Amino acid sequence: MITVFVEPDNETLTFARHNTVLMLQRRLGLRVNDALIIRGGRLLTPDSRLNDGDEIRIRKVMSTG
Amino acid sequence: MICRKCKAPAEVSLPSHNTAFCRDCFAIYFTRQVEKAIRHHALIKYGERVLVALSGGKDSLTLMLELSRLEYDVTGLHVDLGIPVSSSAARAKVEGFCERHGLKLNVVELAKHGLPIPDVKKYINRPVCSACGKIKRHWFNRVALEGGFQVLATGHNLDDEVARLFANTLRWDAGYLSDQGPCLEAESGFARKIKPLYRLTEFETACYAFLNGIEIHSAPCPYSGGASFTGHKELWANLEYTSPGTKIAFYDGFLLRGRPAFAHVEQQSGAALAPCESCGSPTSTGLCGVCRLGIAVAERRAAAPDRQSDPDRQSTPDLQSDPDR
Repeated sequence: MITVFVEPDNETLTFARHNTVLMLQRRLGLRVNDALIIRGGRLLTPDSRLNDGDEIRIRKVMSTG
Repeated sequence: MICRKCKAPAEVSLPSHNTAFCRDCFAIYFTRQVEKAIRHHALIKYGERVLVALSGGKDSLTLMLELSRLEYDVTGLHVDLGIPVSSSAARAKVEGFCERHGLKLNVVELAKHGLPIPDVKKYINRPVCSACGKIKRHWFNRVALEGGFQVLATGHNLDDEVARLFANTLRWDAGYLSDQGPCLEAESGFARKIKPLYRLTEFETACYAFLNGIEIHSAPCPYSGGASFTGHKELWANLEYTSPGTKIAFYDGFLLRGRPAFAHVEQQSGAALAPCESCGSPTSTGLCGVCRLGIAVAERRAAAPDRQSDPDRQSTPDLQSDPDR
């Protein structure tokens, strides 16, 4: 199980499994540089592998005024 | 992915540059982009006093930190808009940031000057984002000139600039197309205005803010729903995704080939400016747009203090007659 917290929507999602960050981004409809993908204080690149039990923070970067 | 420079595991992937960096090499890349912008467009000379407009968002706080690390003489300016909840949260982030990094800060409270943005929204029949932007730019320039700052820096990034250029191009707005760019030289009552982050994307400034532990105010303004620039940014994000590098090519191409042509046209048709009779800010009319807004809000507040938003309200001051920098 992977837990994903999305900012600034303050939404928490859970997924059974995603192999990579890129797969997770596609699932959420995000392009590669639409958001920071954060795990444990580090940024992840699209090819980074996700593991069972991961807690991922997604911080969308587009400012809306 | 591995870092292009040192081969350590990468943290930042940049398809636009067909590269990736670890956090240390990304910091070097980021600084070099800022230095390149400053050098190529003669944005700041060492020894000049720089006023940095701070909203509390990632871009402005990133700019402030980066310029201070480059040892420029920077002072922050935050305009407290007076919007319930939102403005106090943004101001707290700015004050906390400046205190943590030992940086100087000035704060202008619009409520003290009779123009809190909720009142502008309530009493003035025009898009509040337009009036708010006008008021903020007015105070940025006014504080810069009155405080003896040679330079006014804002945190506009490449996405902001491309979205603005695109909007101006859709309207073929020769006035704005004549002077959009990373540097507007001081003239006619305006401080030099610079955008040192113009080569960096929103993603890159967000990475910088995160990697440097900057706490940002990220909640959108409660009044900004449906701003057209957001739609333009979305469109450009799709273009950039399918053709990496399109944004910087569009913007650099404009600076090289588009802007000079529009600047030539505007020199022949630009309106003459004189100091505002009330505040001294440059204007093409007797009173500047912000002073006229202040008068209109004060009059309508006195006449109908509990008035609610009404689409059939009386006419509002024409702010378009003022130069907009």
